[in-house]
Amino acid sequence: MLRAYSALVYLFLYGPIALIVLFSFNSGLSAADFQGFSLRWYARVAGNSLMLDALRTSLTVAFSSAALATIMGTMAALALQRVKGPVRVIFDGLTYIAIMVPGIVIGIATLIALVTTFDAANAVLAEIWPTDTPPQLHMGYGSIIAAHTLFSMALVVVIVRARIAGMDRSLIEASMDLYADPWATFRQVTLPQLAPAILAGFLLCFTFSFDDFVIAFFVAGPLNTLPIYVFSSIRRGVTPEINAIGTAIMMFSLVMLFGAQLLLRRKSVQGKT
Amino acid sequence: MTATAQTIATPAVTERRQSGRWLTALLLAPSAVWFFVLLILPLAVVLVYSVGVRAPAGGYQAAFTLDNYLNLPARWAAFKNTLTLAPLGTLICLLAGYPLAYFLAVKSSARWRVMLLILVIVPFWTSFLIRTYAWIFILGGRGIPALLDAMGMGDVRLINTPFSVMCGIVYAYLPLMVFPIYVSLEKLDKRLLEASEDLGAGPFATFRQITLPLSAPGIITGCMLVFILLMGEYLIPQMLGGGKVFFIGNALVDLFLQSLNWPYGSAVAMALVIIMLVTVSLYLRATAATGGRRDASLI
Amino acid sequence: MDRKEFIEQLRRYHKGSISRRHFLGVTGLGTATAVLAASVPHLMTGRRAYAAGELGDQVNLTTWPDYHEPKNFEKFTAETGVKVNITVFGSNEEMFAKLKAGGTGWDVLVPTNYTIETYVSEDMFEPLDAAMLPNYAPQSYTDPRFTEPGTVGGKLYAVHKDWGTTGYVINSAKVTDKPTSWKEFWDLTNSKYQGRTMVHDYQLTTIGNALKYFGYSFNSNDEKELADAEKLLLDSKPNLFAINSDYKPSLINGDAYMSVCWTGDGKQLQKTDPAFQYILGKEGGEIWADFYAVPKGAPHRAAAYALIDFLLEPKVNADEVLFHGYPVADKRVIDLLPKEIIEDPILYPAAELLAPLEFGAAATLTNPARAEIMARFKSA
Repeated sequence: MLRAYSALVYLFLYGPIALIVLFSFNSGLSAADFQGFSLRWYARVAGNSLMLDALRTSLTVAFSSAALATIMGTMAALALQRVKGPVRVIFDGLTYIAIMVPGIVIGIATLIALVTTFDAANAVLAEIWPTDTPPQLHMGYGSIIAAHTLFSMALVVVIVRARIAGMDRSLIEASMDLYADPWATFRQVTLPQLAPAILAGFLLCFTFSFDDFVIAFFVAGPLNTLPIYVFSSIRRGVTPEINAIGTAIMMFSLVMLFGAQLLLRRKSVQGKT
Repeated sequence: MTATAQTIATPAVTERRQSGRWLTALLLAPSAVWFFVLLILPLAVVLVYSVGVRAPAGGYQAAFTLDNYLNLPARWAAFKNTLTLAPLGTLICLLAGYPLAYFLAVKSSARWRVMLLILVIVPFWTSFLIRTYAWIFILGGRGIPALLDAMGMGDVRLINTPFSVMCGIVYAYLPLMVFPIYVSLEKLDKRLLEASEDLGAGPFATFRQITLPLSAPGIITGCMLVFILLMGEYLIPQMLGGGKVFFIGNALVDLFLQSLNWPYGSAVAMALVIIMLVTVSLYLRATAATGGRRDASLI
Repeated sequence: MDRKEFIEQLRRYHKGSISRRHFLGVTGLGTATAVLAASVPHLMTGRRAYAAGELGDQVNLTTWPDYHEPKNFEKFTAETGVKVNITVFGSNEEMFAKLKAGGTGWDVLVPTNYTIETYVSEDMFEPLDAAMLPNYAPQSYTDPRFTEPGTVGGKLYAVHKDWGTTGYVINSAKVTDKPTSWKEFWDLTNSKYQGRTMVHDYQLTTIGNALKYFGYSFNSNDEKELADAEKLLLDSKPNLFAINSDYKPSLINGDAYMSVCWTGDGKQLQKTDPAFQYILGKEGGEIWADFYAVPKGAPHRAAAYALIDFLLEPKVNADEVLFHGYPVADKRVIDLLPKEIIEDPILYPAAELLAPLEFGAAATLTNPARAEIMARFKSA
C-alpha cells in the first residue's frame, strides 16, 4: 500500500519533468504532439544569443550573491555566538524577518528604496562631477546581487549557527589550551568543522538566486536573468525551444548538485582520516 | 569568558577582550549594513508610502492618511484567496508528503533510502518556472482534458482554475514538506514502535501515540516553510490561474505595475507582512508547547 | 600589425569571440572606415556614420513581444558593434510604472500614442534631436494622426513606428456564428462559448471594449458608463478563459476560441492557421500607433539614436513589417512591401471599418477610476 503510494508520488514528481525532456527532442513545432526525434531545438538554444546573455547574467549574479552571502553570513554567525543581549535579539529578529518577508514585497520595497536613493545620489553626482557626463546610478547587476544577498545571507546565518550549536566545543578548548592563537584555532579547528554547513549554504544561495524570478523582475533594470528570459518566452508561446532550455537548466542544476555532493563526501572522508 | 577570568583580568586579558569586541563588531558590520540598507530602509520606505496618496498621474505623493489601510477590504478577494488556498495547499502537501516521508524513513530498505531521498529533493533544485510551465501543457486543452475527452468524460476544463493553481502548488512545494518530516522520522527510535506493538497497541494507536508526536518538529518545520512561501506566491497563480485566481502577491504586482497606486500597494504589502509575522509567531508559540523546538522551526 | 595577426583577428571576429568594434579598432580599419564613411555618408549605408567607439557597446530596448525581426538586430550589431538588449512588456501601464519607478537603464522604448503626453508631462522623455535621425522623414507619412501624438507642446518626443487596430480574433473552426460586433463578442462569451474567451490584462482595451458593448465611447471616463462596463466585466469574468495579453499560445493550443487581439497577432495567427479570423467590431474600438522614444537619462543615448534611425530605414522597416505584421504609415516603406501585404484586409482594413475607431485618450492612462475597475475585475 505505502509502497504503491510512494511510487505514485514519484510518478507525480517526475512525470512533468519527463514530459519536458521528451518534448525538447520533438522535431515538430508544437509542444503538444510528438512528431519525431530531433536535436534542432538544442541547436537553436545554443545559437540564441539573448538566452546565452541571460544565462551569463544569471550565473554572474548567482555566484556573486552566493559568495557575498556565504562570507557575510558566516562572519555574522561566528560573531553572534559571542554576543548576548539586545544586539543578538536584534540580529535574530532581522534574520527572521529577512527570511519571512515574501520575495514579492522585498522586490517592490527594494526597488522603491534604491530608486529613491539613486535619484538623490545622481543629483549630487551631477552637481559635483567635473565633466558634463556624470556617471548615473541605475538598476542592474548591483541591485540584483544586493537584493539576492539579503535573503541568502539570512539563510547562511541560520544554517551556520545551527552547525555551530552542534559543534564539538572540546576541540576548540583543547586548541586554546595548547596556546594556539585564535586565528590558528579558527583556521584549523572551527573552519573545517563548519565547512559542510558553509558549502551547503553557498549551494542553497546559488540555487535560490539562479532560480529567482520575482525579486529580479523588480530590480533587474535593463538586464534579463535566465528566469526573466524564460518567463517572457513562456508568455510568447509554448514551443519546444523552452523545453530545451528547461532541460538544459535542469541538467545544469543536477551536475551542480552532484558535483557538490561529491565534493562534500570527499571532504568528509578526508576529515575522518 | 568565564567569571574567574573576568575577576582576575590582567591588562593583557583586558586588551584581548577589547580586541575581541572589535573583532565581533567587525564580523557583524557587513551584515548589519546589508540588513539596514536592504531590509530596514526598504520596509521603512514602504511604510512611509503606505500613508501617502496616489499622485495624479500615478505613483506616490507625500501625505499622511490612513485611507489606504481603511480601504484594504477592497482587496478582500485576494486576501481571502490567499488565506484559504495557502493553508489548504500546506495541508494537502502535508497529507500527501507524510506517507512518503514515513515510507522513506521507516519502511524503505536502507540500500535504496539515500537514492530515494535524493530523488525527492532533486526536483526542488531544478527550475521552478520550468516545472510550473510543465503544468500549463499537462492541464491545457491538449493534455489531460484531451485524454479524458477520449475516454468519453466529455468537456473538462482544468487550466486557469483554482484546481490548476493547487496542482502547481503541491507539485512545487511537496519536496519541501517531505524533507523535514523525513529528518524527524529518521531520528525516531524504531524500538519504540516494536515496544508499542509488543504491548498490544494496534498500528493506528502506535501511529497516533508514538510516530506522530515524535515527528511533530518535522511537521511544524515543513508546514511553516510551505506556508511562508505560499503566502507570498505570485508565479503559480499568474501562470496557472490565467489572471483569474488572484493571490495577494498578484494584487501587489497589479497595484504597482498596472494601477500605479503605490501607496495602496504599500499598504497591502504592509498588511501581508504583518499577517505573516502574526500567524507565524502564533503558530510557533502554539507549537512550542507540543514539542517543536523554536530554532528547528525556522529551517 | 602584420598580415598573420590581421588574419588571426579576422578569424576571431568571424567566430564571434570579439566584437566588430573591437576588430575594427584593433586592426585600424575602424579609423579608415570612419573617415571614408564620414566623407560619403550615404554611399554605403544610407544612414549616419559613426566613429568607432562613439556608440558604446550596447543599447537597451524595451518593447512588446514578437515585435521586431531578430535578424535586423544582428545586422545592427554587425554594423555598429552595439549589442541590443531586449526587454518585453505586457502593457503600456506596466512599462510606464517601471520607468516611473526609475533606475531602469532603458535607452529606447516603444510607447503607444495615448501614453506619450503623460510621459512628457511627467518629464520622463527627452526631446528628440531630429538631426540625429536622418531616416526620419515626417513628410512621408500617409496620415498625420499617426505622427501627431509624438509631438507634445511643439517639441518632438517620439517618432512613429507602426500602427494597428484592436479587434478580436476567433477560431472559425469552433466559433461558427460569424460575429461582427463587440456586442456579439461579449454575448457569445457569456452564452455559447463559456470559458473560451480571453481579454487583455490592462485597462484601456478591456474596459474600452466593454464600453463598446453599450455603444459608449471607447475612451469614456463617465462614471455611469464605467459602472455599466464594470458590471459587464464582473458578470463575464466566470465565463472567461483568462485575463492575459499573451493570448496566442492559448488560441493555438485550442484552449481559447476568441480573444481581444491586435492587428499583428491576428496576422501571425492566421499564418499559423487560416481558421483564425480577425474582426473589427462594427461599433468601433481602438486604433493606435506605436512610437520610438528615448527616456530622460538614457545611459546609451547615442546608441539609442543610432538604433531608432536604423529601424526607421525603409528597407529595415519593411523587413520588420514582414515579421510582425503591423501596418506602417511611412510611404517609403509601403512602396517596398509586397502587394499582398498592402491589400491584406487585416493590416489595411476598409475605410468604413476604420472610420468608427478611436485613438486611446491620455486621460484613460492616469484615471484612477479605470485603474481601480480593472483591479476589482481581476481580483474579484
